Amino acid sequence: MTPSMIGVLGIVLLVAIFFTRMPVAYVMTLVGFLGFSYIVSLQAGMKLLSRDIYDIFSSYGLTVIPMFVLMGQLAFNAGIGRALYDCAYAFLGSIRGGLAMATVAACCAFGTVSGSSPGTAATFAVVGLPEMKRYGYGNRLASGCVASGGGIGILMPPSVVMIVYGILTEQSIGKLFVAGILPALFITALFIGAISIYTAYSPKEGPAGEKFSWRDKFRSLGKLGDTLVIFIIVMGGLFSGWFTPGEAGAVGAFAVLATALVRRTLTWAGFVKSCYETLRTSCMILLLVAGAVIFGHFLAVTRIPFQLASWVADLNLPPWGIIFLIVFVYLIGGCFIDALALIMLTIPIFYPVVSNLGYDPIWFGVIIVLVTQMGVITPPVGINVYVVNGIDKSIPLEDIFIGCMPFLVALIIGTLALVMFPATVVWLPNLMY
Amino acid sequence: MDIYQKCLNWLIKVMRLVGAFALTAMMMVTCVDVILRGFGHPVIWALDMVGFLAVIVLASALPYTHMEGGHVGVDLLVLKMKPRNQAIIDSITSLVSLILFSLVTWQMFLYARELASKGEVSMTVQIPKDPFIYLVAVCFGLLSAVILSDVVRFIGKAVKE
Repeated sequence: MTPSMIGVLGIVLLVAIFFTRMPVAYVMTLVGFLGFSYIVSLQAGMKLLSRDIYDIFSSYGLTVIPMFVLMGQLAFNAGIGRALYDCAYAFLGSIRGGLAMATVAACCAFGTVSGSSPGTAATFAVVGLPEMKRYGYGNRLASGCVASGGGIGILMPPSVVMIVYGILTEQSIGKLFVAGILPALFITALFIGAISIYTAYSPKEGPAGEKFSWRDKFRSLGKLGDTLVIFIIVMGGLFSGWFTPGEAGAVGAFAVLATALVRRTLTWAGFVKSCYETLRTSCMILLLVAGAVIFGHFLAVTRIPFQLASWVADLNLPPWGIIFLIVFVYLIGGCFIDALALIMLTIPIFYPVVSNLGYDPIWFGVIIVLVTQMGVITPPVGINVYVVNGIDKSIPLEDIFIGCMPFLVALIIGTLALVMFPATVVWLPNLMY
Repeated sequence: MDIYQKCLNWLIKVMRLVGAFALTAMMMVTCVDVILRGFGHPVIWALDMVGFLAVIVLASALPYTHMEGGHVGVDLLVLKMKPRNQAIIDSITSLVSLILFSLVTWQMFLYARELASKGEVSMTVQIPKDPFIYLVAVCFGLLSAVILSDVVRFIGKAVKE
């Protein structure tokens, strides 16, 4: 058997074992180890296990993950989501569909301290959903905007998906972060547009809420101040090259902690919970990275990524056609596999293809994040939908999936626009350093 | 089996606490480094220290994450099966995981011993690397122990159903 045959067999085996619900990280480690041992030697495979895992665990560049996860957890447990929501609510609450718009805007703002899509969705399922129900919002719109809003949270820096993409492709995490800002604002605007169109056709889904005086509106802005300062410190430090991404995460986590202590919004129990949740999430992500690295080493010895890249080059398809094909694969894959796992699995295969075509890797990173965020709200495996359902059991899964549809359309339109006008994505990061 | 599970739970909680301390220390050390660098006094040991703390954070979280079901998997197909078949599949995959992580544990011990005999140290402050690799090995051992209890549980379930 040729190495590439073994590679194809490995991929088939991998996908088959996925469906036994064995953790994705374990499966990638297992198949990567078996394949590498078969092609090179058992001894080399055994060494690969210990070397790769220890290298990932001790990598200074990867400390960025626990730090940003901690920052998001602290922000969640300190109730920063509530403060942001109150502010957006004061400004938007009085118009039709305004509470849903406020939720989306607050997701965007919360994204500046949180690097996780389900994390953002969970925050506003707790904070925003009860408010919308209180004002008589339809279940579909209310739950759909919370589940979809999580996607904005991960586009807005910090972003765990971008960190992982940056590490796998050796791109600057700082640049990727900065590249996410404009698209996040753009998608927020599209979501708000989707809500206003949706409520124009079915006004009962999103009735107008109470009106606030200008005095109250300005008072609510004060609550925005802390988050804005933290965001400016973290992104400013990264933008100017003063911090490494890992340092930015640590400073951000500390800033959230200090703010929460000064404002007395974080209890000791909340702090401990944040630490434990961070341990769990970081370990999950890094074991996935380790699995992807081991699997990637196996793929590299099969030469599949290189052969695929040259095969695609020979296809004579226009470059945008290939990008659409790749996006399509992510869309379908995202319906079944977790976003992060999908990225780790496919980046070693697709990245050489895309960089061969001459596309900007930073731009591709943003597109990947957008596309995987469609996956988290589409059935059957839409993690954000499950998160919202887990917090509010009274809304059936089907209703949440249907509620996500207008936002899915908005996401597709947004992605198309960014594919056609790549300059809007790369303009800001190119100003850096 | 009950005592085994109790000891395991206690060990997992201890490791979780160690991890939480290391996580907080990681944040603090990095912040101190950034602040002191601002005043022109960078902390030379910060880089090495943070790398080692990261090892402690991740290794100590291994058994806890598994026990809490923190890893992502695709359960779409399995959920549609009968409980007995589910238990059979879970027994097999757990057994495979057990073998895999026992292997990782063993290889990690060998790796630690190899580096210890070479006397390999960290880049700037020359802290020996091997104790940290031993720690990773121990934590993978603990993870294997947790998976072993899964195997026993799933097989029991498969037989009973």
